[in-house]
Amino acid sequence: MKILNCPLNGPRNISEFIYGGELHEMPDPNRCDSREWVEHVYFHENAAGIVREWWCHSATSYWFLAERNTITDEIIRTFPASEVFNQRVEFTAVEGE
Amino acid sequence: MPVYNDNRLANGGLLVDRSKTVNFSFDGREFKGFAGDTIASALAANGQWLISRSFKYHRPRGALTMAGQDANTLVQLPSDPNVLADRETIRDGLNVSGQNFSGSLEKDSSRHLGMFSKFMPVGFYYKAFYKPAGAWEKWAPVIRKAAGLGVVDDTFEPEYYDKQYSFYDLVVVGAGPAGMTAAIQAAEQGAKVLLVDENPILGGSLAYSRLDAEGTQAEALRQAMIADIESHANIDVKLEAICNGYFGDNWLPVIQGKRLYKVRAKEAIMCVGSLEQQAVFHNNDLPGVMMSSAIQRLIKLYGVKPGQKAVVVTGNDEGYATALDMLDAGIEVVAVAELRDAAPESELMQAVSQRGVRILSNHAVYAANASSDKKHLSAVEIRQQISKGQCADSGETFACDLLCMAVGYTPTYQLICQAGGQLSYNDDTAMFTLSKLPKAFQIAGSVNANWSVNAVCGDARRAAAIAVNRLAETVERVSAMAEPAPVADDSANSPNYSWPIFPHPKGKEFVDFDEDLQIKDIVNATRDGYEHVQLVKRYSTCGMGPSQGRHSALATARIVANATGKSVAQTGVTTARPPFAPERLGHLAGRSFYPARYTNMHHRHLEAGAQMLQAGAWFRPAYYGPTNQRDNCIAAEVNNVRNNVGLVDVSTLGGIEVRGPDAGEFLNRVYTFGFAKQPLGRARYALMTNEAGVVIDDGVSCRFHDQLFYVTATTGGVDRVYQNMLKWNAQWCLDVDIANVTSAWCGVNIAGPKAREVLSKLCEDIDLSSEAFPYMGVREGHVAGVQARVIRVGFVGELGYEVHVPQHAGEALWDALMAAGEAHGIKPFGIEAQRVLRLEKGHIIIGQDTDAMSTPEEVQMGWAVSNKKPFFVGQRIIRELNKEPQYRSLVGFVVDDPKAPQPEESHLVIDGDKMTGRVTSCNYSPTLGKPVGMAYVPPGKTEPGSDIVIKVDGAPVAAKVVALPFYDPDTARQNL
Amino acid sequence: MNEFETTAPDSGLRRSQLYRTQQQGGAEFASLNGATVVKQFAADDAQQLKSLAMVDLSMLPRSGFKGRQAPEWLTRQGVEIPAEPNRATRQQDGSLVASLSVQEHLILSDLQITAGKPQQLENDWQMDADTACYALPRSDSHAWLLLTGEHLRDMLAKVCGIDFAAEEFANHQVAQTSVARLNSILIRDDVQLADGSTVLAFHLLCDVSSVEFMWDCLQDAMDEFGGKPAGLAALLA
Repeated sequence: MKILNCPLNGPRNISEFIYGGELHEMPDPNRCDSREWVEHVYFHENAAGIVREWWCHSATSYWFLAERNTITDEIIRTFPASEVFNQRVEFTAVEGE
Repeated sequence: MPVYNDNRLANGGLLVDRSKTVNFSFDGREFKGFAGDTIASALAANGQWLISRSFKYHRPRGALTMAGQDANTLVQLPSDPNVLADRETIRDGLNVSGQNFSGSLEKDSSRHLGMFSKFMPVGFYYKAFYKPAGAWEKWAPVIRKAAGLGVVDDTFEPEYYDKQYSFYDLVVVGAGPAGMTAAIQAAEQGAKVLLVDENPILGGSLAYSRLDAEGTQAEALRQAMIADIESHANIDVKLEAICNGYFGDNWLPVIQGKRLYKVRAKEAIMCVGSLEQQAVFHNNDLPGVMMSSAIQRLIKLYGVKPGQKAVVVTGNDEGYATALDMLDAGIEVVAVAELRDAAPESELMQAVSQRGVRILSNHAVYAANASSDKKHLSAVEIRQQISKGQCADSGETFACDLLCMAVGYTPTYQLICQAGGQLSYNDDTAMFTLSKLPKAFQIAGSVNANWSVNAVCGDARRAAAIAVNRLAETVERVSAMAEPAPVADDSANSPNYSWPIFPHPKGKEFVDFDEDLQIKDIVNATRDGYEHVQLVKRYSTCGMGPSQGRHSALATARIVANATGKSVAQTGVTTARPPFAPERLGHLAGRSFYPARYTNMHHRHLEAGAQMLQAGAWFRPAYYGPTNQRDNCIAAEVNNVRNNVGLVDVSTLGGIEVRGPDAGEFLNRVYTFGFAKQPLGRARYALMTNEAGVVIDDGVSCRFHDQLFYVTATTGGVDRVYQNMLKWNAQWCLDVDIANVTSAWCGVNIAGPKAREVLSKLCEDIDLSSEAFPYMGVREGHVAGVQARVIRVGFVGELGYEVHVPQHAGEALWDALMAAGEAHGIKPFGIEAQRVLRLEKGHIIIGQDTDAMSTPEEVQMGWAVSNKKPFFVGQRIIRELNKEPQYRSLVGFVVDDPKAPQPEESHLVIDGDKMTGRVTSCNYSPTLGKPVGMAYVPPGKTEPGSDIVIKVDGAPVAAKVVALPFYDPDTARQNL
Repeated sequence: MNEFETTAPDSGLRRSQLYRTQQQGGAEFASLNGATVVKQFAADDAQQLKSLAMVDLSMLPRSGFKGRQAPEWLTRQGVEIPAEPNRATRQQDGSLVASLSVQEHLILSDLQITAGKPQQLENDWQMDADTACYALPRSDSHAWLLLTGEHLRDMLAKVCGIDFAAEEFANHQVAQTSVARLNSILIRDDVQLADGSTVLAFHLLCDVSSVEFMWDCLQDAMDEFGGKPAGLAALLA
């Protein structure tokens, strides 16, 4: 069983974690076109190579990010989500809608 | 009276205790062995060489490796099929029987099957029974019985198996000279070491092999190493333990007895040795034909004389070492067929020669002859080799009852290949080699192509130093060391003879004993177009038997390469996967954990006669009463809620507290409704969709403070809802705290026209009047003296209050309400009654009435979706979907015909022969006196009064679409 | 130090979720600090604590706080916050504060129940629009067991995949992990026994609704080493 290094709890058996899917940057739902939104919701890159993924340590419900090589299954690094998300996200409706 | 132990040598037998006689039976006859004997060694000591019949042709088979590496020794124990007789030790009273024969082992009525072998080529069964359609289904059981391996005892008693984690700096698998050396050296440097070996004693090959002409070195070296290991506190030894697989990051399952150890190693060194391979020639499967290591094991480990008169066929020094062992054991060695032309004269060869044994250079064993009863070797024919695999037209026949084969090895590659190691073939040494090892994982010893004991130990010191120095970087207790100087291999040559394969016009030169595969079977597989070794395996079944290619992989790869004109390296071997050795289901199934969750009122439900059912890990009362009264109980519970007052445990409902300045904004984003302006003291329905706009959960949001919302979630959904919430806020960075408080609160729903009357007896600080505390109001106060959150809800369609109290007070609350309601006829009700009640009221259950495609509009929940927010999860897709025509809707229906069978969940809504929808819920409604349900129907069938047809167990049943809810459409009851 | 009262209150209000399990296990109950607790399982409880035992501390005070400003608020209340997450710090009054993340802290009573902190913090806290510090209902959400004894590591190895070797897991280290497939908080906090000896000990906190399952799993894992439940009296002696 692989070991995953949780930024909060340290190295743990990967059975303690839940996979949370690829990291996507969400387009502005009020301004992007339908195609872009549909790709965001339904399409997955499934790239061969180094990808960024969400993982959650289930005992602490702690979400973080991992860089993993999908060819070798090597986990290159793990880091808090705040490295990527550190600004309050706002949504604004388009005027007139 | 049979003579017992007549093949036992006067001395020797490291594993047996001659002071303890053990009585057991084999094939219905009584035998005596010594404590420590395996079944096979004890049988050999008594002259019983025939152990089993082969899988396909029912040929007689005996011990080949004496190390559990072939299927020849599979036997049946009373409660265990497929036991390896050369590994299983005997115990008093053990009843052993042979496997895979018709009638008796000695006179198998299927023994002549081999005569028809030319009619049973590879792929025979598939080809012959493939047509007509269905033929295979008919014949498979017959064939499988004839070819069956043992019998499962279905009267077995469960036994206790369990698992344990353990952690080491270094795990060394294999306790031969390499493994012992590596363990000692790493332990010297402070590492915590686990040394694992499948044998009952330390030493590996040192316990049976011969290093020198005098035959004293091996045991002296073994004893010295054992003394070192035993004196080391840092080394844990597990014997009779199998490392049965390799999993990522050095996660090693080690099975010992009835326990599976899940071992995590910072470093691992595989000192797993190598597996001796057989020569391939006519009748090479006769009992009496053995690997040189098997002969040495019988002599040294068990003190058993494996024959009276022996011939050796060899391509290396081990043949001579074994010849000396046989001579010392009083066996007459009549000839050595030396495969090599001009083999270098080693010390061991000279010693054999000096003892008067005839050595025939560049000679091979061309064929073996069976005794008159066909059950044992009686002679071998030795011929001169004229080219690769080709012998002279005639040769010399030597009478013998024992043939020693010493023609080469494969590394024990299974665990290493599982770890990602790659097997390649070195044409110079005619040997497989291993490379491309994962990090923190090494191999050492003969598995790494070292043969002399000096080279083996030197290689182990090299590997140990690398492991130690890596450990020293992070593990304080381990001190780094200088890397030892490399040790050259002082063994003269490769022990592998490049082509010990001799086709015979009559065939029966077995490559894989498990599956009775001969040279022509492998060659024919390549001719049938299966040129890749992976395909050859699947087509011919070579390597698919119990020994998993341990004795056949090398010969198969060589034959495939030769037949296809490729190199052995290109041909390769088949993929090795865990487990390494057969494992018991007990090891996998034993001591698994299936958590159970109980509410604080759990024991009250049991005392009240509840039938409990499991929802996820939770145990919930289904209904109260005996199982044979199920329907009556549920109907009575429903009626009591409608007419009096009922009490249901809702503690399993999820509870999430969302607190902080952004709490309202956060709920606005994760639920479809608007919450920012939700007034204090009010509850609001909360519907959750995912990004695809699909309904995934629902609950009620209660605002107790400007910055505090208490949100309920479904029993099964709350953990996922909570995790989703945290994941969203990891991205949004809102100033909000989210806490899953499900277990901290217990709750009941007290429902029915008399609910207020009962509750008011126990609640002084909340005004329960309809004006002061209307439907969908929430209050904080005290019930039965306990701090409580009270929510006025209507899930079951009556006046009702959910009372939530801290977990520890659940049972006290239950008791107080039951006592207060006694005069009013209060009765508990279970989730079955609750399902009926909510269905009558037209309330959906997420996951039952919704599926992975259900949008809010489809389930008539458009009213719960706010259009005034800039965002909620799922909004964009819902907005797009709402522009499209809806292709189905969830509607209510009734079945008016009292004689019609009642529809059930998942029954189809049909239109002629077309499926147009399906039923999601249906129950008999005690209130309406007929079955009511909900179903997805296509457009055009959604209006009340529409007729639909439901297919109930094949029969069409007429149903009528009606407006929801079925019960109390004016909501007068819940607004009481 | 709180004193046992010999009669147990009839009410189920202040007793452990394990009450019936303990009743079946032959426990002798008493009242302590207003709650029903197991005073004693057997006469050799004290000896049991040394070799391998579990003690139900669920009725002892504890509290928890979480939020962006939880550390500031707790510091203002005089709590000494551990330097990093997954560590615990013994407070001056004897209570133990475990840091579960930078923003989440768990406060456990001392075994003698002399520390006022856990209860006092809960009493002093209220929803305050200006302070992002939120109370967690730890007394109700989690059951609390104390595991002690020299065989403890061997027993834990059967239910938990973490290396608790002395060199790997120091006193007052915290692991939030899976024990018998249940999310649990484990805090190493070696205890001093009545005879003055110190024995390896872990606090185990798990979801209260699963504690009966946990108790059975631990009892099963302990059997091999002669482990048994013990009452509070031997611990407080």
